[in-house]
Amino acid sequence: MGMMTGQEYRASLRLVKPDVYFLGEKVKSVVDHPAFIPHVNAAALTYDSALAPEFEELASATSHLTGEKISRFTHIHHSHEDLIKKVKMLRAIGQQTGSCFQRCVGHDGLNSVYSVTYEIDKKKGTSYHERFLKLLREIQTRDLMVSGAMTDPKGDRALAPSKQQDPDAYLHVVQRKADGIVVRGAKAHITGAVNSHGHLVMPTASMTADDADYAVCFYVPVDAPGITHIFGRQTNDTRKCDCTLDQGNEEYGIVGGEALIVFDNVFVPWEQVFMCGEYEFAYPLVERFATAHRQNYGGCKTGLADALIGATYLLAEAQGAQGATHIREKLVDMVHLAETLYCGSIACSCQGYALPAGSYMADPLLANITKLNVTRNAYEIARLAQDVAGGVLATLPSETDWRDPRVGKYVDKYMKGATGVPTETRMRLIRLLEAMTCGTALAESMHGAGSPQAQRIMIWRQANLEHKKRLARKLAKIKE
Amino acid sequence: MRVALKYCGSCNPQVDLLKIGRRLAEVIARRSDLELSPVSASDIDFIVVLCGCPRACANRDEVKARAKRHLLISDESLGDMDALESTLLAAAQG
Repeated sequence: MGMMTGQEYRASLRLVKPDVYFLGEKVKSVVDHPAFIPHVNAAALTYDSALAPEFEELASATSHLTGEKISRFTHIHHSHEDLIKKVKMLRAIGQQTGSCFQRCVGHDGLNSVYSVTYEIDKKKGTSYHERFLKLLREIQTRDLMVSGAMTDPKGDRALAPSKQQDPDAYLHVVQRKADGIVVRGAKAHITGAVNSHGHLVMPTASMTADDADYAVCFYVPVDAPGITHIFGRQTNDTRKCDCTLDQGNEEYGIVGGEALIVFDNVFVPWEQVFMCGEYEFAYPLVERFATAHRQNYGGCKTGLADALIGATYLLAEAQGAQGATHIREKLVDMVHLAETLYCGSIACSCQGYALPAGSYMADPLLANITKLNVTRNAYEIARLAQDVAGGVLATLPSETDWRDPRVGKYVDKYMKGATGVPTETRMRLIRLLEAMTCGTALAESMHGAGSPQAQRIMIWRQANLEHKKRLARKLAKIKE
Repeated sequence: MRVALKYCGSCNPQVDLLKIGRRLAEVIARRSDLELSPVSASDIDFIVVLCGCPRACANRDEVKARAKRHLLISDESLGDMDALESTLLAAAQG
């Protein structure tokens, strides 16, 4: 079994039977349920892209384990070029989907666990890396989609994992057995969880000796006994069930599709465990995953911005406003903001470096700067898009009324814009802008890959402010 | 003559590389002396390395080595389809 097409990916999802709940309903088939179809479509495009002549240069890679052509989403970076190509791939696919395509999270998890398991083994004499290589080979060979399950619910944010009133606020080991471990807890906001083949579970924060049971990393299939997925709500999500045009981005949705994954005494065989109690390696794992994931955001979000800027310009034309000077200025500002994000992702990739395992990671300071910029620029880009669109973005009558035999003629007549542009064109653009700027997608830009404060903490740690003070003292002729 | 189109990965939003590629494929299809082949084929005579910017991600030795001759397109000629078509035909025949 080698690389899959999008259709083969869909077929492969039908072979696994995860426990998935949405709106009080147990979902029989994720692939066939309207709530999930856009997310499955977006993930399927990552598969098709790796095989498409137009995108394969970026979306595929050569495995360092087998020498075979594989999806870049299962590849371990071994050069600056790999780091840069990841960013470019994310931008190229983002341009096509206009939405999250989910697969980067697991990719970043694979790269992080690859390097950290190598270092645990060097220090502790364990065999995590060898185990992980076996799994990685299988993931690459079968072209599996893996979710990166890092974020715990966290309970009381002022307390460490081991000090929580509810011990399950952070996922932890509850039993060590001869053949494996039993874990309990949950992982929250996990992108692509319901349409993945497996979950790569990682600790979410730095740990102390008291937290050793919480320093656990492993892989499980999505349908392992004891795992339940509870799918999150998104803005306007019921439109997926009763509308087409009003969805805005009917094919690919508005975000990646996030779920709460509950682990209720889940057994994990030792072959799939890659950290168990080595608490001092929890922080390096978190830092590497966060760096890899924050590196991404100037790639995928810029791809989405490319589509959003295009939609904004088209809507201005559909409303006859494209000739106004301020429209041009706003479009230029949107491009400026988007390309600034791209600059950050390319820069942190160019400044990346090799780790002891031989794999490469992006520069942590620049990656965090990039993501922190996303938490601002994505909002400003959306604000400008909404500014150009006008208030109709929030008041447009429904697709159902536009199609209604009694009032449809009025909607069509009064929602029309520039001469020669059908009302439907204007409505479609308004809905696309609404989907991309008016709800869950923006919150994803803020908190995906970690909230702004998480980036600020990393920046504070990485910035070497003492060195900056020394520079100032030298210029001001102040003795140390 | 078997001709293959090798794309750089198509991430540059300043250039619609997919549209350019489709146009070049149409040019090749119209010619009785040219035949479009996939890049993975083993008997390519001529490979067009189509890159959306001067960074030219697909301009690699192993890509160019897949054919007897190659044409690298990665500059301002991307904006002139007629010139691009002439360049392609001249290079293919040359």
